[in-house]
Amino acid sequence: MTPTVFVLAASVVFGVGVWGLLIAEHLLRKLLALNVMGSSVFIIMLVVAGSGTAGPDPVAQALILTGIVIAVAATAFALALMVSIYRETGRASITEKDDDDR
Amino acid sequence: MSAQEWVALVFLIAGCFFYLAGTIGLLRFGDVHSRLHALTKADNLGLMLVCASLAVLAANWRITALLVLTWLLGLLAATVSAHLIARHARRVEK
Amino acid sequence: MSVDLLIDGLLGLGMIVLALQVVSERTVLRSIILFVVFGLVMALAWTRLQAPDLALAEAAIGAGVTGALMMMAWRRLLIINPEHSADTPRGRSAVAIPVALLSTALVATIGLSALNIEPHIDTAGRVALDEMTDTGLGNPVTGVLLLFRNLDTLLEMAVLLIALLGARAISAPARPEEAAVVETTTPLVGALLATLVPLSILIATHLLLAGTNEPGGAFQAGAVLAAGGVALVLTARLQPAKRPGLATQLAVTAGLLAFVGIGVGIMAFGETLLALPGTWAVYLIETAMMVSIGLTLALLFAGAPALVGRRA
Repeated sequence: MTPTVFVLAASVVFGVGVWGLLIAEHLLRKLLALNVMGSSVFIIMLVVAGSGTAGPDPVAQALILTGIVIAVAATAFALALMVSIYRETGRASITEKDDDDR
Repeated sequence: MSAQEWVALVFLIAGCFFYLAGTIGLLRFGDVHSRLHALTKADNLGLMLVCASLAVLAANWRITALLVLTWLLGLLAATVSAHLIARHARRVEK
Repeated sequence: MSVDLLIDGLLGLGMIVLALQVVSERTVLRSIILFVVFGLVMALAWTRLQAPDLALAEAAIGAGVTGALMMMAWRRLLIINPEHSADTPRGRSAVAIPVALLSTALVATIGLSALNIEPHIDTAGRVALDEMTDTGLGNPVTGVLLLFRNLDTLLEMAVLLIALLGARAISAPARPEEAAVVETTTPLVGALLATLVPLSILIATHLLLAGTNEPGGAFQAGAVLAAGGVALVLTARLQPAKRPGLATQLAVTAGLLAFVGIGVGIMAFGETLLALPGTWAVYLIETAMMVSIGLTLALLFAGAPALVGRRA
């Protein structure tokens, strides 16, 4: 296992997630980008916590496992929000125009 | 390398070959049905060979049983999803 | 070049390319499918990082359940408005690329400098590994989740419940014509369900029991159970119901109730809060958690407060 490679790759994936979040109009795309960013953070957490020791740190693993489950719970809630927004407004995006309308 | 490792290696390489063939078929074939054909036929054989290779390496009945179960589950999932995709494709074509 | 470097480099490259495709793919549906593939590559990365528990969780929850939830939400949009465009043009943002590059540089700097810090001798993880022998559990991750840092796990169960209640509170009841699944008639589906659903229960139980000593545990088991539920919802064998009965309410809260019940009850015997009294308590709480997680995820997928069997 080569920690540096994982940290570098995960950093790029994080940047790609940020890029996706900024250019996405559709809320579903924004959620996908957020999930991608989350995954890269998890990788960095585990690599950093396990560096210099024999194996991966069990506390970091437990925290990441918790993180994965919280991420799916938050995603499920956000998807329900998106469907509600779509039902109300007929659009699955939030643009700055919305603020002007109100 | 021991004889056991050689046998495992042969299974593994054969399995990878079938995976490669299936993937090339998936990418190169034109329509849904031939793509499914490439994917399900070649990949199921590839999965069996990889599982066989791991079983030879493990040399343990419990792990072998789990690997057989893995292969059977893969077969089941591939069969039904290929069937459903093909059915949907035919309905769209009509 | 060493083999390790080659494998890790290919994995990293795969992650980057897939992430790029997820955010830039032309249609949303393709993005979702590629996100599932990204999740599976992540599972491979966890295996390389010697974290099989996370590999299982990523494959089942990160890729499987999240992908299924996304697909279902996409389908709901299409049902509300069949004209909903599959093509979603990218927005333009002048700052997107500079911000992305800067955040990459920032995260890489933090990560690389953290790698160079001299590791502390008594990290929580090291202490947990040392204490594991006294617990009767062989899997240190389960030990941390259920014994050493179980307050986190308790609150995690609460978050899952809150997500379910929140999703229920903001969702308008679906009109009958908006039913998200149509019953399929092919004979294969019945045969698949007859195998898959019992198998999902068997595998979930295996993951739960194995989780104390080997990779696995309540979360992975719950996700596998949810997969069985998802298959039943998708084939309309389980249908959305308006009001949850007592059984549903109990099953959804079982994990929290067992955790709090044992964790607080133990104080009557002069122990501290959440000091679980032994392996039996771990098994009991994990079983309750598995049921709660499985049902909660299945309900979130169905977008309904409860599920009932198909009426003949």
